Amino acid sequence: MAGDVRASLAPGELRGSHGPARHHLLTSLFGTPDLHRLAVYREHGGYQSLEKALREMTPEQIHAEVKASGLRGRGGAGFPTGTKWSFIPGDVPGPRYVVVNFDEAEPGTCKDRYLVEHSPHLLLEGACIAQYAIGSHQAWVYIRGEYDRPYRMLVEAIAELREAGILGPRPFGVDYPLDIQLYRGHGAYICGEETALLESLEGKRAQPRSRPPFPAVKGAWGRPTLLNNVETLANLPWIVRHGGAAYARFGVERSRGTRLLSVSGNVQRPGVYEVELGVSFRHVIMELAGGPPPGRRVKAFWPGGSSAPVLPESMLDVSTDLDELARVGSMGGSGGVIVMDDSHCMVKAARRLIRFYAHESCGKCTPCRVGTNWAERTFERILRGQGTAADLQILDHVQDALQNGRCLCGLGDSAGWVIMSTMRHFRDEYEAHALHRRCPVGECRIEIERVGAHA
Amino acid sequence: MALSKHAIEEIKGLPGRFPEVRSAVVPALDIAQEELGYLTPEAMSEVAGLLGIDPGYVEGVATFYTLFHLEPVGKHHFYVCTNLSCMLRGAEAICEHLRRRIGVSREREVSADGLFSYEEVECLGACEFAPMMRYAHAYHYELTPEKIDALVEAARAAETRKPSRAGDGSGRAEAEQPHGR
Repeated sequence: MAGDVRASLAPGELRGSHGPARHHLLTSLFGTPDLHRLAVYREHGGYQSLEKALREMTPEQIHAEVKASGLRGRGGAGFPTGTKWSFIPGDVPGPRYVVVNFDEAEPGTCKDRYLVEHSPHLLLEGACIAQYAIGSHQAWVYIRGEYDRPYRMLVEAIAELREAGILGPRPFGVDYPLDIQLYRGHGAYICGEETALLESLEGKRAQPRSRPPFPAVKGAWGRPTLLNNVETLANLPWIVRHGGAAYARFGVERSRGTRLLSVSGNVQRPGVYEVELGVSFRHVIMELAGGPPPGRRVKAFWPGGSSAPVLPESMLDVSTDLDELARVGSMGGSGGVIVMDDSHCMVKAARRLIRFYAHESCGKCTPCRVGTNWAERTFERILRGQGTAADLQILDHVQDALQNGRCLCGLGDSAGWVIMSTMRHFRDEYEAHALHRRCPVGECRIEIERVGAHA
Repeated sequence: MALSKHAIEEIKGLPGRFPEVRSAVVPALDIAQEELGYLTPEAMSEVAGLLGIDPGYVEGVATFYTLFHLEPVGKHHFYVCTNLSCMLRGAEAICEHLRRRIGVSREREVSADGLFSYEEVECLGACEFAPMMRYAHAYHYELTPEKIDALVEAARAAETRKPSRAGDGSGRAEAEQPHGR
């Protein structure tokens, strides 16, 4: 194993928010040399929040601060974190677990990797605070198998914590044992869904469970389990230090605090940006990420990973407020902002995403298994220049059949939303391909002509 | 081809790390694949035997996860992201160039010398550096045809420096040590 894994993290990899700023609650120390080292992290105040929690606060007080903060889950669903914690039963004897969802695989999302590569201890401190808050002595970090370097960094960081006694029987001299273990995934998007993740952690094919029972009551190995996303937990040290009310002063309405947005695709400065919730996507895309390449226009953007319904350029002024996004028919999702410029074809983009959902469908429930593959074949037909009006009707039908609780988990809905939202805002492009065998952008021309030559 | 004594010992030590033995299946298969290059039916049975689990169950798990190879791959296997963020920044052209460079006509085909293969994968979570790929347990960012050429050349050079064991999958452990970027 290489000695210092950080040695391979080049300065150019700090592509996004770092350094002090009023709204940098997570990223203010990013870029500090050797921040991944426990000693450096502690020099900058690291683990003081955990010490404060263990020595001065009761679990109930921590829970109250998290509720007061208004923090909502940063993984995708945006569920209020304090409420999720309250589902953990108080009176069940035996082990209970904190499980960290580091299976980041939503297309267009890279913020958890950015966070852990720049400050692994920020996550680990949050995971320790969460253990204490719910009466757990064991956290599991479920990390996707492709994340080699973040894995090695966490291995080293956990070894440092054991050596320092912060993981062990008496952290900071307090009789409250803490432990963190790592578990590597092996390539399956569905593991980001929390019950599929639990199945995977238990060594099974990762197919989502029927609920109830919910993981809070019957989670990993049948025990009460709190599942939170990496970024969600990384907010805990700040909230414990400054208080929930201070956190709630950032943001708007029911979207409090800041969040990390991964901005990718056709922008001049792709990167991971920490923003105060409520800023507009115009600010995120045009200012922070530098807008599209010279001479190009934004055509559309996915505001929260590929599962969040796409929005056209005319909606750039929509805010990052989760509830406003819901009102305009999309969602905040994973914070993965994918920007597409006017040189790209929406039907081709939708086909690529549908191929993804079809590939990643776990096969357990019929609407998703059949619907995603049916949709994929329909897209292939349209892009081969063999589409008809009937194919557009099929897509209309399939997108509906994938949605509204017909599937066991959100993957089916996500696939349905790709079709629904791209057809809603770019119906003319679908009609040009399916009815007139023409790609208005010119990106699919070759594919259609090739088939035409054989006709 | 059977697992080495070292791998067997490692696998036997896994169940103690988890509340239930089944959680050891994926890490055990990972150890087997690192050693053999891909998971043969015999390897899966051997893993099942070591863990005291039904071989059919182990195979069921192996077939679910895309990082497990059930067919041989090249000693140097490239995982190229082609999902939307990378596609918008030229991933298709990168794949085309890579295919030409390593001499294959499609993904998962192994080059005639047994050295190379590639597959197109879903989002790898490094979208700010698109187009990108995973190779030799490391991420490679902002790919260009020149960067692809350099990686392939470096791999070929490494292979000619050591005795050729191409095609049998052994030597994988050395081939997949983390590379610099």
